Amino acid sequence: MMTQKILAPLDGKVFQLKIKAGDQVEDGEEILVIEAMKMETPIFTPCDGTVREVRVKEGDNVLENDVLAIIDEEHSED
Amino acid sequence: MEFGHSLKKGRIKSTEENLNSIKTIEEDVADKVNRVKLAGFPEEKINARGQMTVWQRLEYLVDSGTWCPLHTLYNPMNNEEGTTNVIDGIGKISGKWAVIIGFDNKVMAGAWLPGQSENILRVTDLAKRLNVPLVWLVNCSGAKLTEQEKFYANRRGAGTPFFRHAELEQLGIPVLAGIYGTNPAGGGYQSISPTILFAHKDCNIAVGGVGIVSGMAPKGKFNLKSAEEIIEKAKQFRVKPPGSVNIHYDETGFFRYVFEDETGVLDGLKDYMKDMPAYPPRFFRVAEPKEPRFPIDDLYRLIPINPKRVYDFGEVLARLVDFSEHMEFRPDYGPEVYAGLCKIDGFLVACIGNRQEYLGRDYPEYADTPGMGGKLYRQGLIKMNEFVTLCGRDRIPIVWFQDSSGLDVGDAAEKAELLGLAQGLVYSIQQTDVPMVLVLLRKGTASAHYLMGGPTANRHNAFTIGTAASEIYVMHGETAAVATYSRRLVKEKDAGRPLEPVIEKMNQLAKDYHEKSRPLFCAQNGLVDEIVPLRDLRKYLVAFTGAAYQNPKSICPQHHMILPRVIKG
Repeated sequence: MMTQKILAPLDGKVFQLKIKAGDQVEDGEEILVIEAMKMETPIFTPCDGTVREVRVKEGDNVLENDVLAIIDEEHSED
Repeated sequence: MEFGHSLKKGRIKSTEENLNSIKTIEEDVADKVNRVKLAGFPEEKINARGQMTVWQRLEYLVDSGTWCPLHTLYNPMNNEEGTTNVIDGIGKISGKWAVIIGFDNKVMAGAWLPGQSENILRVTDLAKRLNVPLVWLVNCSGAKLTEQEKFYANRRGAGTPFFRHAELEQLGIPVLAGIYGTNPAGGGYQSISPTILFAHKDCNIAVGGVGIVSGMAPKGKFNLKSAEEIIEKAKQFRVKPPGSVNIHYDETGFFRYVFEDETGVLDGLKDYMKDMPAYPPRFFRVAEPKEPRFPIDDLYRLIPINPKRVYDFGEVLARLVDFSEHMEFRPDYGPEVYAGLCKIDGFLVACIGNRQEYLGRDYPEYADTPGMGGKLYRQGLIKMNEFVTLCGRDRIPIVWFQDSSGLDVGDAAEKAELLGLAQGLVYSIQQTDVPMVLVLLRKGTASAHYLMGGPTANRHNAFTIGTAASEIYVMHGETAAVATYSRRLVKEKDAGRPLEPVIEKMNQLAKDYHEKSRPLFCAQNGLVDEIVPLRDLRKYLVAFTGAAYQNPKSICPQHHMILPRVIKG
């Protein structure tokens, strides 16, 4: 099974966390929002899958390239 | 080069709330627009008199599917009628683009109201900027006499449009007028100032009407005797109002044509429009028109209603331009600004917009802190200056997309010459004599609202359209509250007084800013020329582009253009 690491694209604070371990997510779904420089940057999943691990909680400060979550990628049959 | 991506299913799932929020605002705007349409007498009552309403006249006159209304909610003097009493927009008549305006004959028989001349001047400016005919549906009973002090006189008062009509004519821009009903005094000049007059058989135009004739000799006060005299005179004029077709067709010849039916007047205008100056579209088209490769309804999911939320401007643009193709200008420079050549309906247009994303640790190059899209930095300003200047050289109309929180600030930004580069952009726009349009996608803030082709560039900005997500203010309300009250907070604190009264004022100011930046406020006060549903944005861009290329004042042959070759390298 392939896993996808979700990395922080910039330094900031986790403003919204919309997933927890075990959740099913769909390709392109907004799973987390980072607040930085007065703006909110949404983070999207790059694939369908299941959330294996969430490494942050709301209010956490994160640095660029920190791992925020890990998704077990689900391959469609077709 | 093709750009943009289809929306992924997860994105669709995540953006339902955003879509609903935007549609709720659009429905509210549509409701207010409907109220303007219903202002005054009901349609049935006007029809029972043998007349069409202005809306019915527009429906008959304008080519199906081309009408792009402007200023529908514009009501800067907050008239109780809910309108300035003129209805206007861009549309095609007999296949040619025109700026079209008519008096709402349901409301006080098309009277002058406060704010109306400002509305008309926007319209005459638009015809001048686009160099297309102005078509009037005149049906104007004259001034609303109980409020004349608000609009009759002044530099931009009710008479100013007559000078503008003369200016348009002197520039070679025809003003055609269909004339209906009774048009005394101001209505008379509204009728006589256009270039060719198409009269309905029952219309009249005159220097003055019954009201003026009766009151010509003031006697200090009214009494029963004078009231009886007025009644007698009024009856006389009702029987035979001055300036009918017997005078102005048979005697003066002011009316070029007279028509038996209301629709005949409109047919006359349609027939004339066929011959108005226009290049065939193929003269300027650079490709066959194509729809974007992605559905325009995606915009409801791509443009966040939340002004702080980052999004991908490229994906928005890909829903608006032909086949989602572009040639980007200097993609590796000034990343906070998109500048590129695109096509709308087969015509070449220049697009400029704010990118929103994080710009990386190393940008801007002059500062220690990283940059964020939505702001403007040195490189972005230089890029826009260059691009606009080259558009002027190549005669390419410019579509601005604005969503900016302003310019970078601080000593590093000053050292990087942002102030000079910003005014440099004003200079570049001012010396670039091509039509421009602004789509205010979301935020119009600080000087960026001026610099990026905003309505303040009023010789260049043909019109500005807002969206349900638009908001305009000098700065965010909370920022303004801090700027206004921070010293006061310090004083109160030092004096040992309670802070709550100041905090209350700060919250009130932030609330005021919010309320006075909303789409409806912007439309009512003319900060935008129309709030347009997202799904209609491309339609307006097609109208702008088609009109801009219909009869441009100058031409750059395609094989002489330098900008596409600068991009190509």
